[in-house]
Amino acid sequence: MKKIFLPFGKISKQTLIIMIVLQVIVTLLVWQTTSDGLIPKPGNVATAFGQLLTTKLFIDNMFVSLALTLKAMLYSIIITLVFAYLSVIPFFKSIAQLIVKCRYLTLTGLIFIFTLLTKDGSELKLSLLVFGIVPFFTTSFLSVIINIDKQEYELCKTLGYNNWQTLYEVIIVGKADQVFEILRQNFAISWLMITMVEGLSMSEGGIGTLLIKYNKYNDITNVVALQLVLFLIGLCFDWLLGLTRHWLFPHSKLKQEVAS
Amino acid sequence: MTTCIKKEILLKAENINLSYDDKIILRDINFCIKDIVRMDVKQGQVVSLIGRSGIGKTQLFKILSGLQKPTSGTVKLHNNQTVKAGDMGVIFQNYYLFEWRTVYYSLLLAAKQNDVLKGKEKETIEQYAADFNLKDELKKYPQQLSGGQRQRASIIQQLLKGSDFLLLDEPFSGLDVCMLDKVTNLLLQVSTSDELKTLIIVSHDIITSVAISDTVLILGSENGKPGATIKKEIDLIERDLAWKKDIKQEKAFIETVEEIKDCL
Ligand SMILES: Nc1ncnc2c1ncn2[C@@H]1O[C@H](COP(=O)(O)OP(=O)(O)OP(=O)(O)O)[C@@H](O)[C@H]1O
Ligand SMILES: [Mg+2]
Repeated sequence: MKKIFLPFGKISKQTLIIMIVLQVIVTLLVWQTTSDGLIPKPGNVATAFGQLLTTKLFIDNMFVSLALTLKAMLYSIIITLVFAYLSVIPFFKSIAQLIVKCRYLTLTGLIFIFTLLTKDGSELKLSLLVFGIVPFFTTSFLSVIINIDKQEYELCKTLGYNNWQTLYEVIIVGKADQVFEILRQNFAISWLMITMVEGLSMSEGGIGTLLIKYNKYNDITNVVALQLVLFLIGLCFDWLLGLTRHWLFPHSKLKQEVAS
Repeated sequence: MTTCIKKEILLKAENINLSYDDKIILRDINFCIKDIVRMDVKQGQVVSLIGRSGIGKTQLFKILSGLQKPTSGTVKLHNNQTVKAGDMGVIFQNYYLFEWRTVYYSLLLAAKQNDVLKGKEKETIEQYAADFNLKDELKKYPQQLSGGQRQRASIIQQLLKGSDFLLLDEPFSGLDVCMLDKVTNLLLQVSTSDELKTLIIVSHDIITSVAISDTVLILGSENGKPGATIKKEIDLIERDLAWKKDIKQEKAFIETVEEIKDCL
């Protein structure tokens, strides 16, 4: 029992599950007792959640959003990889670093420019998303590259590799598993942006538009239920990406086991 | 005395200095390794580099192998060319292996760099793995290896790569008695596999290392002066202590080891 408060303490799976269940129950109880007229009670949210999952409106919108996010992530990771790999070449280094700094640009101020540059709503959404995500991906990947141990390069050199072979072995092959980790860590950001971007061009629908509609009619129960869905989908992706990474790159799992 | 002559220069370190900020690590290092020619044997060279912990052996290795630039001075090879990274095989003290490759693949990468092994990479790797008790480990990732297994994999990797020069930083630590014999035998075998093969061994295990060497270099600081330099060079051929099987029991050998220890 004492172990659950001990730094680096190791607890059994069973204890972990009991602990989580208890924490969830306490949260629900607190929620139940503190919520009044305006904030919906857990029971109501659960009902709304159940209903939401069965409506066609929700399912269609969900697919629109998911498809857009995945597409944006795919484009973003490709762009990121190109720039990150090139970043070890001095000529491209500054470009990569500039992209990293673009994190500080807020999308809101750029909507007008992007509207001018794109021809329709879906293109606008996609390009805004990609523009928003790439800096975060690039930041993560560059930090992976910067943190590469000197020994990895030294081993390449002693094996007689030239610089291109070293780039291939250490960064492209050696850090391929990190691509999944970056997707996983930044999925939340893409997910956050999608609700915002979708509000800009409502014609195609999506979770974002749905949220805005519910908000407009003060349908807070449904808003919270929708939040719950967003949360669960996020968790699901987190888990899926982690699993894929370990499956494709067994060594990444070993590293984690050593670390934990 | 064993008859042999020392011929052309294979490696020449000239006036090597290394400092970090203001701290002098290595000072005026000069030595050369010559090709030893013996009748009827393809005799390579084995040099022991001995010195206290923290004196600068690993740093000197990095300079010799071209991985690091000295503050001043040059390392030249037999064709009078300055050494560059990749000319030498280096086995580092911590036996780093690519974490994302299985042992087999790591070895294969090295074997592919060696033209001599073209077409028989697989068999050669399996042969080495069998000799060094690594057969079951070939499929594993470095994280799953014991310290000693990692070390053997690391040594085999550089052997497969097949450079003429092989620098070994602490190859004997962490080996059990049986493996120690195998590794020393292997190094002897490598050193006689080609006329030009040259091994430079850094080790705190003076007896094991000196027993298979023909030359001993002692790296140490000279009284008062900052930085380490080659304090002494011992020619074991001259003392008739090289290339002998049961050398460890000989009186002259034991005396030489004592002499080295006193020098540290
Ligand atoms: N990057 C660095 N910056 C400053 N000083 C360094 C650096 N790397 C090594 N040194 C110093 O250089 C000296 C020599 O280090 P080196 O690793 O060569 O020792 P060593 O002889 O190999 O010791 P050991 O037998 O313990 O491996 C040490 O005093 C160390 O503190
Ligand atoms: Mg060292």
